[in-house]
Amino acid sequence: MPTHLEQELENAKIRIFQMADLAIEAIRRSVESYKRGDVGLADEVIQSDNRLDELEILIDDECIRILVTRQPAAADLRLVLAMLKTNTDLERIGDFASNIARETIRLNGKAPLKPLVDIPIMAQYCIEMIKDSFLAISERDAERARRVIERDREIDALNVQVYRELISYMLENPATISQALGLIMVSKALERIGDHATNIAERAIYYIGGEDVRHSKQ
Amino acid sequence: MNEKVTANNLTFYYGENPAIRDISLPVYANTVLALIGPSGCGKSTFLRCINRMNDIIPHTRAEGDIILDGESIFGPRFDVTGLRRRVGMVFQKSNPFPKSIFENIAYGLRINGIRDRYDIEKRVETSLKNTALWDEVRDRLNESALRLSGGQQQRLCIARTIAIEPEVILMDEPASALDPISTQKIEELIQDLKKTYTIIIVTHNMQQAARVSDFTAFFYMGRLIEINRTDVIFTKPENVMTENYITGKFG
Repeated sequence: MPTHLEQELENAKIRIFQMADLAIEAIRRSVESYKRGDVGLADEVIQSDNRLDELEILIDDECIRILVTRQPAAADLRLVLAMLKTNTDLERIGDFASNIARETIRLNGKAPLKPLVDIPIMAQYCIEMIKDSFLAISERDAERARRVIERDREIDALNVQVYRELISYMLENPATISQALGLIMVSKALERIGDHATNIAERAIYYIGGEDVRHSKQ
Repeated sequence: MNEKVTANNLTFYYGENPAIRDISLPVYANTVLALIGPSGCGKSTFLRCINRMNDIIPHTRAEGDIILDGESIFGPRFDVTGLRRRVGMVFQKSNPFPKSIFENIAYGLRINGIRDRYDIEKRVETSLKNTALWDEVRDRLNESALRLSGGQQQRLCIARTIAIEPEVILMDEPASALDPISTQKIEELIQDLKKTYTIIIVTHNMQQAARVSDFTAFFYMGRLIEINRTDVIFTKPENVMTENYITGKFG
C-alpha cells in the first residue's frame, strides 16, 4: 500500500501532468487560431489560461504542504522541487500561448502576412519537447530529457530564420511593418516556449538523477 | 580539511558477534558528523568505540583502528583516561550529579587537577555561557541541578562536558527525550560548539541530522553503507539503501 507521502506526491504529479496537457493544447490552439485567423478560437485560448493559473497555485500549495508536513528527502524531495519550478514554466508557456492568441485577435480575421511555414514547425517542436520531458519524468529516463534540451537549438535557429525573412519583407515594403512585427512576436513567443520546455527537461534530469545541468549547454 | 578522528577497518565484537564490521570513515575537525540508521545498526557501538567506553563491557574486543590526531587510541601505551578527557560524551538521558549546578561543573574540573577557586568559577561561568544556560541559572548556582528542566539538565551536561575543554564531543541522541524548544536550543548549541569542537552525533531523527550536521553516515546491520556531505545524502544519496531509509521506504 502506498504511504501517505507517496499518495500525495502522486496527486501532485497528476495535477502537473494535467497542466502539461493544458499547456500543449494552448500552444496548438493558439497557433491554429493565428494560422486560420480564428478569433473565436483565440478567445478560448485566453479563457483557458485561467485554468493554468489556478493549477499553478494549487500545485504550489500542495508542494509546500508536502514539504512542511512530510519533509521529503532524496528523490521525493527532488520531485517536489522539480514540480515547484516546472509549475512556473508551464504557467509561463500558457501566457505565451495567450500572447499568440492576442495577436490573432489584433489581426481581426485577416490572414497573416505570409503563409506560415516555420511557425507551425516551431509549435510542433515545442509540443514534442514538453511531451518528451513529461515522458522522461514518467519513465525516469534522463537520456530522453537530454535529447529534449538539444532540440531547443532547432527552435532558436527557426526563430532567427523567421526574423531575417521578415526584416527583408519590411525593408522592401514598409506597409508590412505592423503585420511583420506581429509575426516576429509570435515567433519569439514560440522561441521562449522552447526555453521553458528546456527548463522542464532540465528539472526532469534533476529529479531523475539529482544532476543539475542548467547553464551547461554550449 | 583536517581529519580529527579516523576509523580504519574497525570491527567490534560483543562476545563472538560483530556489532559493527569493517567501518572506515574520516571525521573532520570542527565539523558535525551525524550517524543515522535503524535501531541495532551499530551507530551507538561505533560512537562508544571512539572514547573506548565499550572497554568496560566484558567479553568485547575491537579489530582495526581508530586514529585520533594521528595516534591510535588502541595503542598499548595510549592514555585511556586522557582519551576520555579529550573525547567527551553526552548521553540520551541527562544525568546530572545530585549536586548543585555549580558543583556539577566544578567537580569535573577538580578531578582534572584544577584547584584554583577563581579559575574554577571562571570556567563554570564560561561553560554555562557557551551552552546558553548562564542567564537562566546565574542566580541559583547553588541549587540542586535536579531542579532544572530536562532541557536545562541536558545543557548542563553539555556544559559539564565542555568545561574540561575536550577536543571531540560524542552525543548519543542528546535531544530525543526533550521537548521541541529544548531540542531547538540543543541543535543551535551544536552549531555553535562546532567552531571549537569536533562533534559526532547519533540521532534517530533524520530532520535533526539534516539540520545540525555537515556530514552524515548511514549504518545498516553493522556496516557503513554511505557517508557523504549531509546536503548530498539528503538530496541525492548514491546508495539505494540510503535512499530507501531516508525516504521512509525501509523494510
